[in-house]
Amino acid sequence: MTPFELIEPGSLREAIDLLDAGDPSVRPIAGGTALMLMMKAGVFRPTRLVSLRSIEQRFSNIEVGPSGELRIGAMTALSVLERSPLVRREAPVITETLRTLSNVRVRNVATVGGNLAHADPHMDLPPVLIALGARIAIVGLSGDRTILIEELVTGYYETVLALNELIAELIIPPQAQRRAAYLKCTTRSADDWPALGVAVSLDMEGTLIREPRVVISAATEKPTRLTAAESVLRGSSMDDSVLRRLGEAAADEAAVIGDASGSAPYKKQLVRVYVQRAVRKALGTPSEKRAASQ
Amino acid sequence: MKPTAGRTVEVGRSIPRLEAREKVSGRAEYIHNMRLPGMLYGKIFRSTVAHGRIRSIDVSAAAALEGVHRVVTGDDIRAIIPNPYYGPAFHDQPILALEKVRHVGEPVAVVLASDPHVAEEAAQLIVAEYDELPAVFDEVEAMTSPAIVHDVLKPAGTFPDLKHLEGRKNTNIALDFKLRRGDPEAAFAKADYVFEHTFRTQQVMHTPLEPMVSLAESTGSSVTIYTSTQMPSFVRIEIARLLGWPENRVRVKTAFLGGGFGAKVYIKLEALVTALSLLVRLPVKISLTMEEQFYTITKHGTTVRIKSGVTKDGRITSRRCEAWWNGGAYADIGPRVTQKSGFTAPGPYDIENVHIDSYALYTNLPPAGALRGFGIPQLVWAYESHTDLIARELNIDPLEFRRKNILRDGRPQATGTIMKDAATDAVLERLAERMNWGAPFDRGSGSIRRGRGIAIGFKASISPTTSGAIVNLYGDGSCSVYCGTVDMGQGSDTAIAQIAAEVLNIPAETVKIVHPDTDVTPYDMGTLGSRSTYHMGLAVKLAAEDARDKLLALAVELGLPAETTPVAALLRKKYGMQAGNIVGVGSFIPSYTPSDHATGLSPDVTPFWMIGGAGAEVEVDTETGHVRITRLINVADAGKLINPKIVETQISGAAIMQLGCTMLERMEFDAGQVTNASLADYKIPGMRDLPEQMENEAIDAQQHSGPFGAKGVGETGTFAVSPAIANAIHDAVGVRLTALPLTAEAVYRAIREKNNDPLEEK
Repeated sequence: MTPFELIEPGSLREAIDLLDAGDPSVRPIAGGTALMLMMKAGVFRPTRLVSLRSIEQRFSNIEVGPSGELRIGAMTALSVLERSPLVRREAPVITETLRTLSNVRVRNVATVGGNLAHADPHMDLPPVLIALGARIAIVGLSGDRTILIEELVTGYYETVLALNELIAELIIPPQAQRRAAYLKCTTRSADDWPALGVAVSLDMEGTLIREPRVVISAATEKPTRLTAAESVLRGSSMDDSVLRRLGEAAADEAAVIGDASGSAPYKKQLVRVYVQRAVRKALGTPSEKRAASQ
Repeated sequence: MKPTAGRTVEVGRSIPRLEAREKVSGRAEYIHNMRLPGMLYGKIFRSTVAHGRIRSIDVSAAAALEGVHRVVTGDDIRAIIPNPYYGPAFHDQPILALEKVRHVGEPVAVVLASDPHVAEEAAQLIVAEYDELPAVFDEVEAMTSPAIVHDVLKPAGTFPDLKHLEGRKNTNIALDFKLRRGDPEAAFAKADYVFEHTFRTQQVMHTPLEPMVSLAESTGSSVTIYTSTQMPSFVRIEIARLLGWPENRVRVKTAFLGGGFGAKVYIKLEALVTALSLLVRLPVKISLTMEEQFYTITKHGTTVRIKSGVTKDGRITSRRCEAWWNGGAYADIGPRVTQKSGFTAPGPYDIENVHIDSYALYTNLPPAGALRGFGIPQLVWAYESHTDLIARELNIDPLEFRRKNILRDGRPQATGTIMKDAATDAVLERLAERMNWGAPFDRGSGSIRRGRGIAIGFKASISPTTSGAIVNLYGDGSCSVYCGTVDMGQGSDTAIAQIAAEVLNIPAETVKIVHPDTDVTPYDMGTLGSRSTYHMGLAVKLAAEDARDKLLALAVELGLPAETTPVAALLRKKYGMQAGNIVGVGSFIPSYTPSDHATGLSPDVTPFWMIGGAGAEVEVDTETGHVRITRLINVADAGKLINPKIVETQISGAAIMQLGCTMLERMEFDAGQVTNASLADYKIPGMRDLPEQMENEAIDAQQHSGPFGAKGVGETGTFAVSPAIANAIHDAVGVRLTALPLTAEAVYRAIREKNNDPLEEK
């Protein structure tokens, strides 16, 4: 690591002023769990880091908003999210996902905003949040905006965020009766980066599936909604043939990438199997006992 | 004084480790924490090509960086060490690359600076140019490849069986070990069945959580090396040889090690920091990163071809084993692995006709050495997978087939050495009992299929090696043991204290172990190959007995009752105040007959045998190939247990380590470059990867030649894990994997192939 300037402003606005739209060596740092690894590896060499740890406390709050939405400050540590009774009540799939997200040491310092802005396709939270229809509030010099998380990531470690924009808040719409599940599939150790993450959320009207969302991550360049798979589910009632068609549609449309955690044809098979298992899990009808790590 | 015969008091007691409190409270000493005044940090600049002639090394930008003390290349090293090649088997490894580089990651230059960040920054400014040469990476191809890693072979001279290789050219074969017993070809011709299979293992890394670290301080006429090593005595001898100095001018000290597993044997960074310290006349420290360890030492990838002749009632009459060991660019201890493990390649079976060819090969990969098992796990993987396949073909129960052929005590092993105190059959029977092998077994249903498998392996101790020890009783009667055994987490301090305490009739907790310091502690060959409990154990026992005899003599001289007079009272009477010492010395070397060069036979090839068996129950997800190990049973013959609790953790630790090599670990290479050289991408087992149920047992046994009946156990748990799991997978889903690791994808692909619906290639 080489020397760099570290600034710790007291407010979000000050932090934005210290960033530089034209200089990628100036970066914000929140928990730093990903950035520090990149710096140690020499992949990222900052000239200036703008620490967000002293910005306003409200960016670390979790509360329920006026229309029942969950509002989570971007500086909220993942472990705080994990232990929040509000989150468990409104979106238990998040609570469950966090239990196996990285490890307790990382969760204690990594933040919600950093997790999203980092845009590593292997992250567990983004597919879950996309499945929940979540949005983020972005603050910047040229104005503030709110976008869907599925619009955030544009590619491998790439987002729509300008270099001098920051995520201020995560907004999760009320889930009402919607059901959701996330499955993580690792192919080496249990604590490995996922080879595949699958998040689903859906509503039931009687026996019919309404507004399904199927999102995969890790096996693809970025978290991706599988729209053909969603079409199979939409308006269907759950049975084995629907699940089979779901698996085939998902495997067909998923643009998986082979790497050391598995070849592309194998990851297609994982997609085929895991989307079915995720839907079963969301509906509370898991099939048989599952082998191996999930 | 207590009679030595009969029951023991200190030996056999599960006392907590002596250093446990120091370790958990952060007070234990590690080399990583050491700093000396004026010390410089070294950062290594490494080769980016697998094989090439060095055209130029431009260090000017690095040397010009503010804060850089000096940049050193191989030519600078040669100025103070004219022949700077080291290695235990071959003097083949240059301290820094000279003329050629032979693997990606080979050290080419070093930047020295008082700020490690500056050294790191400067190292990135060095530019080296190479004329690339053809490279060879595969161990079987290396036999005939036109790419030759070393122009001339340079055996170190230490081992007689390497002498015939002196000066050989145009070869990558660093040892061609042969064993010939009976007439295998005639037996194959007569056999009812002949089976042949080939198995492979992958390169893996030891992954000690404390990476290698060494610090040298030189006065010009002497040098002190503080180093995280398993072999302080060897380091001293090798450094003295390189410098042309007497041993007494080289001092080597260790502390606790944050793991070793064979990664820290022989020379690693010690020659480099010594040379650097002599060049700049300041203390120099180099601490490797986790990534750099992948380029420093690995476990041999292997190809093993094994062929058996079997009678129709299931007796193995003939076996031919060919093993190719991928030694990487420098031999390290690979040729020893090739021979010492090679002669056990037919397995713990009573086979009359045996033919073994075991080849150590140079390739352009990072060097390979010994990793917890010294080559045995690779061989057991092959012969126990093969054994199971034969049993299946013959439709004989795998346990029954092993029973028919097991090599029993009193029978000659392939070398001709008679098996003694080797509880092969007892381990097998205990394994069967714990597996409840005869009972019906739930085979699962739907996409979850269950299976179980067993395997058994064995190992000889490397021989002949020696250990010395000193037991020192001070004026107040308190006791220190000076010994060169390195406690790298295996609990040797505690076991040694228990042995000394048993002889001296004092509580083990009161014994102090003086850690290796070659100015203070006597010679010990090294802490490796599960040799310390036996060899050092016997040396310490002899030293303690010597001290006890001297106490008895002193009591007689002073006219005091030997049985009841405390040590302190004896010494006070002798010297008139609290003063003096009673110094007992002991050393041990086992008997040994070297194996005949032409036949590989020897009547006395090892002082003891280690036996390890494993049984696995698995669940296989047929839709994804994921394997869940629901039960893993490890059974070992470790002789009498000095400390049963520590023995159990040694068995379980070794089994879990091998579980990583079996299921998860694989160094991925691209043109010799490791593409997953970090703990983010190279996965070792974590808590959630452990089998749901794991049971470890050391059977009731005696090694009659060992200290109080004990023998080594550090590696035994590794032997049989891999084939036990592969055999269980075969049992569950009917597919045979012949290469490690047993990844979910490999299992899934095999299932698809069996169903005549192969998954498309990558």
